[in-house]
Formats: sequence, structure tokens, C-alpha cells
Amino acid sequence: MKLLATLAVLAVVAGAAGATFVWSGAYDISATDQHLPPTYWLMEKTMRRSVARRGNDIVVPPLGAPKQVERGLALYRAHCVQCHGAPGVAPEPFSLGMTPLPAPLVQTGREWPAGDIFWVVKYGIKMTGMPAWEFRMSEEDIWSVVALVQRLPYFSPDDYRRTAVPGLDAYEARASSDWEVSIRRGRIALQQYACVACHRIPGITGHEARVGPPLAGIASRTMLGGVLSNSPDNMVRWIREPQQASPLTAMPDLGVTERDARDMAAYLSTLR
Amino acid sequence: MMLLPLLLLSACQADKATPALGGDPENGRLLLRQFGCGTCHEIPKVATARGKVGPPLGGIAHRVYIAGVLPNTPENMASFIRHPEKHAPRTAMPDLGVTETHARDMVAYLYTLR
Repeated sequence: MKLLATLAVLAVVAGAAGATFVWSGAYDISATDQHLPPTYWLMEKTMRRSVARRGNDIVVPPLGAPKQVERGLALYRAHCVQCHGAPGVAPEPFSLGMTPLPAPLVQTGREWPAGDIFWVVKYGIKMTGMPAWEFRMSEEDIWSVVALVQRLPYFSPDDYRRTAVPGLDAYEARASSDWEVSIRRGRIALQQYACVACHRIPGITGHEARVGPPLAGIASRTMLGGVLSNSPDNMVRWIREPQQASPLTAMPDLGVTERDARDMAAYLSTLR
Repeated sequence: MMLLPLLLLSACQADKATPALGGDPENGRLLLRQFGCGTCHEIPKVATARGKVGPPLGGIAHRVYIAGVLPNTPENMASFIRHPEKHAPRTAMPDLGVTETHARDMVAYLYTLR
């Protein structure tokens, strides 16, 4: 009994201390305030273990064919070098101010298994600047990036500088042709296209967005954007090309693919 | 510079006390009902306003855009209420012949919806 009472008191004290810490604003959230070494170690370890557990099960295709590395290089120059740099190439200035700092991939390429690299590129890492590319690149392209990252440590700065830059339409091949509409995937797509930056959407965690209307109950609403009647096809149309439907709308064209828009519409149709 | 926070503070307080556009919020609430706005919009504390054609108006005071096309200011809201098609050419929202005075009262009420 005495032990239980002591534990209860301790729990209350710890809770109060935690609440005071949060509400007082004492924690320095700035990107210039370094983590304490144990904090950093713990977060790094958590990330590394989480990735390893998930990357372990991924079946790795053959990597390193010249065509694949060339494609990876083009993608790397379009989407990765800005934050991660390359042999002899500094990252863009903005990325130098990030906390945590983007990893130098010439090291990652030597130390990480291919499946882990693939997993991180595809799904991104929460609470860091690493975005998920799942909705922006095909799996084939992601493997090309993995192949390149594993080769990158063996490029000399001069090699890297002299590699030809093939023309690139990174977005050309990301959508495969056979798919089934998925509500679950639609929910993730709504988050991955940053819809929650402007709209509050039940089931998707986000800030108190007030730029556009809240989407709770959107399935029972009659009009979309005030201009289109609410049908599944019109929802897809509105999501993909809002400015075609309403030329003056503030809602931007986010380059949503047909598949992703269909999935988003499927999720939104559940919000009654 | 030292006075700035005080000025901002008083501006906030004035914001709460003074209705938008100097309109009459209570009359605005009644007008929103009279003009049938609730046929299409859900509006807090307006009887029978449970429409699902347009977006709900709860929290409209804080929304960044009106109808997705106009920056949300009291002046723009009044103008949109009076002549929606002028601002959003393809909008389904009709021109209901709202007078300027009536629009001002409606805006005064809608700006209490935070």
C-alpha cells in the first residue's frame, strides 16, 4: 500500500513537472539549439532500429546496371543533391540550417543495406526534413536512386562533375497502369499532397488549418469549390485541376495523378 | 516601439467589442435566416441553417479565403454576399439582392463566428 501511494505521488509530481515544462515554453525549439548528446543518441538509435526492422524484409532487385545508375543520377540531381550534396558538391544553403542535418549520402551508401535506403526514400522520416517519395516516384525509380546512392561513394568529385546529365522527367513514370481504388491509400495521399495544410480533414492529423473549408461531411455536400456538383468524377477533376473548374480559385494544381486523386476521392466519400 | 504591444492589445480588444463594418450582429443573424442562407450553408445559431450545398460557416471569421477566391476581409465578405458572381464567375451562389446595409449586418454576425 505504502509503495503504491509513493508511486502515485511520484507519477503526479512527474506529470506536473512535465506539464510545467511544456506550458512554460522553457524548451528551446530553435534549430540552432543542439540536442544533448544522450538525446541525440537516443533519437538516432530509434530511427536506425526502426528503419532496420522495416528494411530487412524488403526484397532487393539486382542493382547497379549502368542504365539504372544513370537514371538514379538524374533523379539524384533533380531531388536529392539540394539537401544531401554529392562528391565535391555542397548542399544548397537552406539545407545547412536544418536540424537534424541531412545525412551525407556518400557515407550512407557505404554503410546502409539497400533495403534500408529504399525504405527511407519511399517512406521518409518523421520529424526530420526527409520527405516520403512514395507518391512522387515509381518503385523502379526509387531503386535507381538506391543503386546510385550505393555507387556514389566510389565517384571521385571529378567523376561526379563529369557525369553527363541525362534529360529528366522525374514524374513521367511514377504511376503504374493497374491499380485498385484504395480508401486507405487515399488517406495517406491526402496527407502526402499537403491537403491538410489548408483543410481540416477528419482522420488526418494536422494543424488547425483554416485556409479552405473543413472537409468534415464533404461526402454529403452538394457542391465542390462552389462550382461543380459533387460526384466522384467531379471530385477527381476538382482535386487534379481546380483552376480549370474555377479559374480564380486559390486552390493550386498539385500535380495529383489520376490514381492518387481516385484514392483521395474514395477516402473523402467516407466523410459523411 | 514600446507602445506597439499596447496598441495591438487595444486593437484586439476593440476587435472583439466593435462589430465588423459597424453592422448589427443580432440583426445580421436574423437576416441570414430571412434571406434563406441556411438553405445552402450550416450557420451556428441560425435556426434551420443546416444546408449542405456550400461550405459550413462555423469559424468563417478565421477562414483565409472566401469561396476560395477572395481574401477574407469584412469588406470583401460584404461585397461577395451582395454580388457573388462578380467575384467567382462560375459560382453556384446566387445574387439575392442583399442591400449594402443588410450585408454589413450579416458580416457583423458572421465575424462573430470564430
